[in-house]
Amino acid sequence: MSKQKTLSSEVRAFLKFLWSEMKPRGKALTPFNVISVPIMIAGLVILVIRFTKGLGAVTNLSQDFPWGFWIGFDVVTGVAFAGGAYLITFVVYVMRVEKYHSIARVTVLNGLLAYIFYAGALVLDLGRPWNIINPIIGNSFGYNSVLFLVSWHFLLYMITEFIEFSPAVAEWLGWPKVRKFLHSLTLAAVIFGITLSTLHQSGLGALFLLAKSKIHPLWYTEFIPILFFVSSIFAGLSMVIFEGTISHRVFKDRLEPGAHESFNKIIFGLAKGAAISMFVYYFFKALIFIHEGHWSMIRDAWGLWYLLEVVGLVLVPCFMFAYGVRHRSLGIIRTASVLTMLGIILNRLNISVIAFNWNAAVHYYPSWMEIVVTLMVISAEIWVFRWVVTRMPVFGPSREFAFTS
Amino acid sequence: MESYSYVNIFETKGLEYLLLICFLVLFVVLVRYLSAPKAPANKPKT
Amino acid sequence: MNRRDFFALTGTAALTLATKKASADEIPLKKEFVGVLTDTTRCIGCRACEVACAEANGLPVPDVENDNALEQPRTPSETQLTVVNRHNTDAGEVFVKQQCMHCWQPACTAACLTNAMYKTKDGPVIWRPDKCMGCRFCMVSCPFSIPKFEYHSWNPKVQKCTMCWERLQQGEKPACVQACPADALMFGMKRELMEIARVRIYRHPTKYVHHIYGEHEVGGTGWLYLSAVPFEQLGFRTDLGTTPYPDYTREFLYSVPIILFGLPALLLGMSSLTQNHEEEPDEGIHNE
Ligand code: SF4
Ligand code: SF4
Repeated sequence: MSKQKTLSSEVRAFLKFLWSEMKPRGKALTPFNVISVPIMIAGLVILVIRFTKGLGAVTNLSQDFPWGFWIGFDVVTGVAFAGGAYLITFVVYVMRVEKYHSIARVTVLNGLLAYIFYAGALVLDLGRPWNIINPIIGNSFGYNSVLFLVSWHFLLYMITEFIEFSPAVAEWLGWPKVRKFLHSLTLAAVIFGITLSTLHQSGLGALFLLAKSKIHPLWYTEFIPILFFVSSIFAGLSMVIFEGTISHRVFKDRLEPGAHESFNKIIFGLAKGAAISMFVYYFFKALIFIHEGHWSMIRDAWGLWYLLEVVGLVLVPCFMFAYGVRHRSLGIIRTASVLTMLGIILNRLNISVIAFNWNAAVHYYPSWMEIVVTLMVISAEIWVFRWVVTRMPVFGPSREFAFTS
Repeated sequence: MESYSYVNIFETKGLEYLLLICFLVLFVVLVRYLSAPKAPANKPKT
Repeated sequence: MNRRDFFALTGTAALTLATKKASADEIPLKKEFVGVLTDTTRCIGCRACEVACAEANGLPVPDVENDNALEQPRTPSETQLTVVNRHNTDAGEVFVKQQCMHCWQPACTAACLTNAMYKTKDGPVIWRPDKCMGCRFCMVSCPFSIPKFEYHSWNPKVQKCTMCWERLQQGEKPACVQACPADALMFGMKRELMEIARVRIYRHPTKYVHHIYGEHEVGGTGWLYLSAVPFEQLGFRTDLGTTPYPDYTREFLYSVPIILFGLPALLLGMSSLTQNHEEEPDEGIHNE
């Protein structure tokens, strides 16, 4: 009987702990809160309309443009930016480069949240979301579909990323045994996760292989999957640089002493990786361009737009990264990472929206409501991110070292 | 209506190999550039 | 041919049993696909097919007498599964009926991750509401931009011509074929329709262009067209090629299991290599 009592009291204490952790901390009136709360409320209202009146009531989607901003930006672009997680886990857990260990957790957390929110945004776009169980529980497997593959990979990858992150949750809850068990799964999860990432990063590109007759020939190539995969490398790396720079300012008090200096060193390594992968990517693009013989196409507006993406937002930031590494200039590297991200956004949107049905009479552009919902998704992600990092051991070398080896 | 003509799908191969050679040369240059940071900047680590 | 042989061997991107059969020409077809032959030289633009289609599918029936719909080019929509357009060509006014082509290896069924878009064993491509999750990938991939989505409904349907699949099962013809007063539409097995079409071309070699649209386009379609003028003038896409659309993703889908088999093993190998390397010399030194 007494045992029961302690058990129930323990449970109660645990729930109390959870409850206290749920409560927000910190100042309520930060600029971010002031902006994001109205956006999220507006987004929720729009979503209510969307689910009662149909997609047409809030989006500019049309018969010619079945996929718009929610797919093109939230899902296709968001997932590319989440590529940092598989790269960093590869470097830290497979190559065992300890230098990057301190950012592994935060990158995995970012990746996990990106998948939950951005890939989750896919559900908002589904016309008949209740049937989403069909391809999952298996009463209707469309094996033949690339989208089938991609959505399964999203699902599995979220699980593996959660496993990768779960030791931090166990530490937060103070469960050393559970933590030890979860930690033993890390390598397996990492390897599985990298494999899945390879496939669904390229798979997102492979979706558009079927739109051969609709995408502008400058962007359509049978190598879209490979291009998507390679570009996800530098997309992920520049996101890590960008995001790390911001969180190192915002969450200064969560960092271990010295973390800032070591992070700066990490940035140089990441920038090096970005420069090399962008260089390779640029030549891939050039090779395809030559192979398809597109010389005559770069003279019109579409050609300039293409050059802006490929030269202006790939080759230029590539050289900026290289210059920044050589001259140890963090400022240039940060600018380059922003440019690279713009280039990725442009590339993904070009393929999925802008150069899609490029000769249609009426071209799609997102409605303000679509943008508000996208901002809502991003704000919600940041809220959760902030909630997690202020409670769980995410930044810097964790207690992990004490347990392992 | 249909006529037949010889289509050489490997027309651009020569150019592609040229590009490849350029790439390999430039790649070596880039990697060397990246892996040898300016000597003075390396010493006063801050 | 090479591509096709390879396809028959691997069959990875094969969609349904039916499409697999269609692509492997050496395997005798057990069941033939049906189709419809549209002879645009016979069409008088009366739009009886539009009316019949709307009635058969419970959609708003167009007011053919007064709506002047022929003045502007239209495309099939979520409320009109088939439309007739007027084209001014070298041979004068020509009317063309448009609807789903019922491809032999449809892009839409290859795209659909729930098998909601479904190639039936008889040939018509149908949409099944209990399966569809409304992702609209079918719309993205259809080379003829046929599937249409009800954007203004909380419970939207994907609308497209089903060749009157329900009627076919009761042994009837598609509603539009039955309604056509000018004999411009003919329903039957595609093989027979091809023969009929060829006979018409041979009998009147100057009347028709010597091309049957749908014979090879995107791997062959169930719906066939005859014309007196080149098909570009009738608003047909002639740049689609003869490769079946599912073929474009075949290589990718084929490589998926290979990567799933190979990459984890490779990564594990790399990981164990780096592990030994690290453990032997010294524990604490990680930085270069
Ligand atoms: S025309 Fe489009 S909708 Fe019809 S079967 Fe072909 S791919 Fe599918
Ligand atoms: S919208 Fe429906 S029918 Fe079309 S691909 Fe998606 S699930 Fe399949």
